[in-house]
Amino acid sequence: MPFTAHDLRHHPEQSYPLLYAYLHRNAQRFLGALKYDAFEVDTVVGHVVEQLVRLGLFSGSDVTPLTALDSLTDAQFYAFLSRCVKNKAIDRLRKRRLPVNTAAELETVAGNEHDEDPLDESAESVWGTTPFAAPEEITLRLTTQLELRNILKHCILVLSTAPHQLQAVLNELQEMGADELLHVISEELHVSLPASASQNPHLSQHKDHAHKKLRYCLQQRSTNLTVRVALRLTQYTVRSSDTNDYVVDIQTLAQDDLSEGDARLGLNKLVAEGLLSWHGEETVHLTPAQLKRLLRFYREE
Amino acid sequence: MSNDQQFSDSSNASGDDEKLALWLKQVMQVPPHSESNPAFAVESSARERETHLELLQGSGYHVSFYQQLPDFVMALLTNHEMATVHYAPLLYHLAGCQECHQGYLELYDAMRAAVYPQEPRPLLGQGTRTLTATPQRMLGHLCQTLISQAEALWRDARNTQKDVHSYARSLLQLALKISARIVQSSVRRHATHDLVRVATLFERADDTPEEDSSALYSFTPALAGTGGMRGKKVVRSAGTLKRPFKAEQPVIHLHAHAVEGTIVQRDQLLELRLHNLAPTLRNRYVQISVPLGSLLEPVRWIGGNPRAIRSTVPVDEAGQLVVPLGQTELRLHDAEERSLLEAMFMLLEVRTVE
Repeated sequence: MPFTAHDLRHHPEQSYPLLYAYLHRNAQRFLGALKYDAFEVDTVVGHVVEQLVRLGLFSGSDVTPLTALDSLTDAQFYAFLSRCVKNKAIDRLRKRRLPVNTAAELETVAGNEHDEDPLDESAESVWGTTPFAAPEEITLRLTTQLELRNILKHCILVLSTAPHQLQAVLNELQEMGADELLHVISEELHVSLPASASQNPHLSQHKDHAHKKLRYCLQQRSTNLTVRVALRLTQYTVRSSDTNDYVVDIQTLAQDDLSEGDARLGLNKLVAEGLLSWHGEETVHLTPAQLKRLLRFYREE
Repeated sequence: MSNDQQFSDSSNASGDDEKLALWLKQVMQVPPHSESNPAFAVESSARERETHLELLQGSGYHVSFYQQLPDFVMALLTNHEMATVHYAPLLYHLAGCQECHQGYLELYDAMRAAVYPQEPRPLLGQGTRTLTATPQRMLGHLCQTLISQAEALWRDARNTQKDVHSYARSLLQLALKISARIVQSSVRRHATHDLVRVATLFERADDTPEEDSSALYSFTPALAGTGGMRGKKVVRSAGTLKRPFKAEQPVIHLHAHAVEGTIVQRDQLLELRLHNLAPTLRNRYVQISVPLGSLLEPVRWIGGNPRAIRSTVPVDEAGQLVVPLGQTELRLHDAEERSLLEAMFMLLEVRTVE
């Protein structure tokens, strides 16, 4: 009987031997010249097993949440496993082959085995490039996409509770010439930069602490919700007919992949940060000044 | 906005954006993990390769982010409009965590091959393999992987405050059960090397008072099964030499340096027998601790707490002591059940009672 992702999740003890057998067969297939090296075969198998455990699929039972892997068809899941094996096999072939072969030998190998050598296929994917293949590509996206850049701004804003750390970050922004961001933040927080960074003897220490706080803040789901709700407030509020306030109801904020609970969590955080007055009502009211502030910080640059 | 569109937006970044991006990369760089796995190396000696397969990936990954990767990748593959916004914290994390980013790259490629197949349909899993037919070193590797994941959960929980106890416990339980299927004692010992340590991490998280280091004796079992290498002459470890050859005899032998003990079974009662205890212990009561005793629940421990089983009588003048430990349906006569009990008694500590 073939095994399924469901079996690996709920019956790990019974399905592990089947998983091993399947991975083993594929590893031998993709390892080419190394297919009779039992250690190499098990290294490839072991890598995929580790992945499945890390992902919470193997032995995840009902404790780990279901993921996209659980919703693959059986054929897709086998294709997934097979590809994982192939990639690791290529990795092992590269590791074992390159240090010992001369360039001339590599040419010979390429000429003889081009039809079957998985290394050849690995040179260029038929599907094109992988998004976010390098960290630089990720950070560039984070700083250029409005919604993502807002999170960075928000976390720098949160640093205002530690003025020295905020100053250290503002100094860095100034040094690198990130003028737009610097302008928005300094205007929002009414802070001015010191003429010289050397005025504070503990600047390096403050910078390290600030970076640590930024890292924490940027990776928090609650931060993301706060910023997304702030942006939605700037997008969906409408002027009230009987007051000067701007209003929006929670249902409107909780669209797409944001639940009502998420929206409320974000609103609560905005209240805690002094950007909003709201006490859990179904409709959120913003004064013109509050909306202007949100617009300036989360919408405009 | 589709992802393709978003990427092209990124390519129009200004010089300021690029500088800011470089700075952000520095900020997000996760400091090296102080507890990273020293065994993170595939290359090992030929002798080790024959019996052990070390963990292949480092331990610097972050469970709570790592487990979001499949959904994030699927969102990208299906051009989900809000993918980057919805997974923004993960994206920020990937910018600074090399190990999670490597996991993302591997998953992206494999899931893309699954969702948009370009190759012939892969072989389907077939066969009626059993754990017994699975190579011992792969069972050992699975145990290590499960234990390592439990430790990663514990590390992650310190930051996220999530309750991961039951998940980690189930992983450790599975590791214990799988280890009982490993016949080669050296492989089993290697596979479960970190089990007590990691299980103890969670015990402490349960507000159990931290164990003092006052254990007078720390007994480990002389494991059943061969200690030799596959395909070579069988060599028994020092601990097993004194034992009769018949492996399935209903007794677990323990040793702590020169001191020996046994666990025997009378009906359902497991009984600990210790010999040659130090003169300072004579006429004194002791407390027995079985750290893995609460991991599985086939034993009804005397007093209810396997970490604090008080002897009912003092150590006698000859340095001997018999302590009833608990009742169980598991039988020491049965090889598999005996292996499970052996794994549970991987560590047994003796302390004096004040």
